[in-house]
Amino acid sequence: MPTAEEVVAMLCEEGIVDLPAGFPANGDLFAEGMDSMAVMQLIVVAEERFGAIIGPEDTGRENLATPADLARLISMKSGGAA
Amino acid sequence: MTADVIVLGAGSAGLAAAVTAAREGARVILLERHGFAGGMGTASLVHTFCGLYRLGGDEPVLANPGFPTEMAARMLTATGAPGPVKMGRVWVLMQHPVEFVRMSDELLKESGVGVLFHAEALAVEREPDGWRVRVACRGGMTTVTGKVLVDTSGDAVLAGMIGGAAELTEAAHLQRPAYVFGIQGATAGESGLPLAGRIVDGVRRGVLPKESLGLHFRASGRPAELFGTIDLSGTEEGDYDPLDAACLTRLECTGRATAAATVDFLKREASGWEGAYISQWPVRAGVRESRRWKGRHILTGQEVLGGIRHPDDIALATWPLEFRETNRGPKLRYPEGDRAAGIPLGCLIPEGLERVFTAGRCLSCDHEAQASIRVMGTCFATGQAAGIAAVLAAKGEDPKSAVALLRNKFG
Repeated sequence: MPTAEEVVAMLCEEGIVDLPAGFPANGDLFAEGMDSMAVMQLIVVAEERFGAIIGPEDTGRENLATPADLARLISMKSGGAA
Repeated sequence: MTADVIVLGAGSAGLAAAVTAAREGARVILLERHGFAGGMGTASLVHTFCGLYRLGGDEPVLANPGFPTEMAARMLTATGAPGPVKMGRVWVLMQHPVEFVRMSDELLKESGVGVLFHAEALAVEREPDGWRVRVACRGGMTTVTGKVLVDTSGDAVLAGMIGGAAELTEAAHLQRPAYVFGIQGATAGESGLPLAGRIVDGVRRGVLPKESLGLHFRASGRPAELFGTIDLSGTEEGDYDPLDAACLTRLECTGRATAAATVDFLKREASGWEGAYISQWPVRAGVRESRRWKGRHILTGQEVLGGIRHPDDIALATWPLEFRETNRGPKLRYPEGDRAAGIPLGCLIPEGLERVFTAGRCLSCDHEAQASIRVMGTCFATGQAAGIAAVLAAKGEDPKSAVALLRNKFG
């Protein structure tokens, strides 16, 4: 399951949000310009890469705000591997 | 009908050019294919004025004096909004298309512009003292003549008609179009991130088309009214070509079908959306990029990113390069130190032509710079400058004086 660093790499590679080099695991992604459109893309990519099924009930700010939050959410939602 | 200046297209740039030229005392004819002015900001329901303010800063600072500044003030009065809002590093002014239509009517009337709605230029010929324009109206043609033409069509239509130097980015890299529609009846409905999650869920379950992934909603500023915006791929079937009626037809149909399917889905599944309905379709899908003129100066993306100034600048470009080459959201590139670049007069003067000017999203620039200068706030500014230059040319004076004249007039 992804580490926060792998989440940062995924966000940048997929063009979901532009992050400066060395972006911290607890950095605020929304402050870097992640919006609801980017979150849609993120959900699609997380499913493609990790098989994580992120549903409407999971898409609160508290689950998405930082790379560490996202790593935790993706682990939890990718069927049994958590 | 005879005029000093004929303006082709009454979008943000054409409105600015026509009103500015008329205020300078010129006889102006403005040709517009729709029944109102405003272009992208009215017919396509684009509801933010971008490019009006300097980048960054803790307080909004208007970038271009004169018409753009006047439009900001008039829109704030019309909507009653307290001021612009900061989204990330940029300041934007929420605008309402219905107010924009009304303001445009008032501006055109006050300034004495001769407007022809439901009129589209189809052929242009040279005359000894200017131009003769054949205009299509409902099932027939009429003729207008004028000394100077201003092409603010957004598609450089004049270049197509007289064989002027122009270019169109290859289909794969053209900025993707936006489809914007109005919604009412979703009172305190689910919004933001949970709504985004719900739409992805609908696509995953196969009850929504994949185009719905590009859809997001924003409050219009009026009670219980939203705008939905879909970024279309433009390649629903075949290559994207903003000058091709068959392609534009596919865009319109895809936009409407996606909007309708998504709102129906949200009515069924999202809390607070039970009573929602689509209250307004756009007159046309919002084309971001089309054919551009090649002028005496071709503004480049590097110049915008470097915040480069020129001795003959007529406006400042203060919007980042906003790339929409895919329908997966914007990619923004900011100039060094948030420094605004200048747009020189040469960008408004097509190569090898006299008594022709251009402004707005089809002015002379490359694909990268167009990603900045296409926004409405900047179009007001370049349109204003084209209006001043056109009046000078109509009087037989050197349009280069427009640079000094703009500074003297507006600071």
